[in-house]
Amino acid sequence: MSQSLRPYLSCVRSTLTAALSLSNFASQAAERHNVPEIEAASSPELLLNPLTVSRNQEERVFVEPSVNSVRVSIRIKQADEIEHILVHKFTRFLTQRAEAFFILRRKAVPGYDISFLITNFHTEEMLKHKLVDFIIQFMEEVDKEISEMKLFLNARARFVAESFLTPFD
Amino acid sequence: MAANINWRTINIDALDPESAYNFDLTTLTPAVQPVSSSEVQTLSGQVRQLLRGGNAEGALRGALENAPYGADEQGKAMHLSVVTEVLGQIRQAEMTPLLQRMYQAEGGSELCDTLMKYLYKGMGQGTPTSNSTPKNLTPQATGFSQVGGRHFGGGEGGGQAMSVFLSWHEKLVEMVGPGSIVRVMSDRRTV
Repeated sequence: MSQSLRPYLSCVRSTLTAALSLSNFASQAAERHNVPEIEAASSPELLLNPLTVSRNQEERVFVEPSVNSVRVSIRIKQADEIEHILVHKFTRFLTQRAEAFFILRRKAVPGYDISFLITNFHTEEMLKHKLVDFIIQFMEEVDKEISEMKLFLNARARFVAESFLTPFD
Repeated sequence: MAANINWRTINIDALDPESAYNFDLTTLTPAVQPVSSSEVQTLSGQVRQLLRGGNAEGALRGALENAPYGADEQGKAMHLSVVTEVLGQIRQAEMTPLLQRMYQAEGGSELCDTLMKYLYKGMGQGTPTSNSTPKNLTPQATGFSQVGGRHFGGGEGGGQAMSVFLSWHEKLVEMVGPGSIVRVMSDRRTV
């Protein structure tokens, strides 16, 4: 792990650990409803101060806590246009299968690439430290995955170009 | 006029003074006296003087003790830049002993909470740039692309300042624990 990645991930880990203290809270606006307050935003006193953890301008995590839900948005590192397209395809693939991931949000918050929505029901039936581990692991893996895909794409493009241009040699 | 208002999208909770949507947040905020920009400026001058005199600990302590909760956005940004300057001046090896001394002194945990607020605020700087100018993208003939534009290059900017905040954050959490982060989230007095 690179030198500046470690403090970044440990900062995200402690922030998430602190933010994931959720309790059941029924909606104040509608009877017999129970909605994630960070999404509904039906009463201002239930939303806490949002926190940002950033490694540089392009890589950051945005944590929006509320009484019964936390929204975690990640901005993935993108150095050039190829990586931008790869990240878009990758996150699109995941968000289309959001129900298989339980905590994945179907749409990312504007300015970020992928969002998670963790409610008190998730923290009740899953282990909190495992949830934090999952997000940290996701952040580690996604960078690796993207750069791997980029290398593979370049190698493939080179091969295709070579075999396309051989007849003209 | 009434014809072009879509009444299904009207938030009726906003019109009801009794609803939770209109909860008065000021009842939760502890009273803070308003601080003018000139007062913040005087304070930053004093802090910078301490810093120049080589007393980084005193500078940090002074900046955190007199955090301008009642100032406007401009004053808060000014104070943040002073705190950032002080934090950047302190070397990595001096962080832990300095924090330890600060934490053990009278009212140290409040100072640490304030420092934590500044760390998060510093990291949140320059955040909402939300893809405003898609200039890198070639316009497609179909006129439809889901891939939004984004600035490339210069992305590593601010990495240096961020790594300062990150290492301070790590040292601080090690000492005061996650409770401090919870207090940052729940305290209505923002820096």
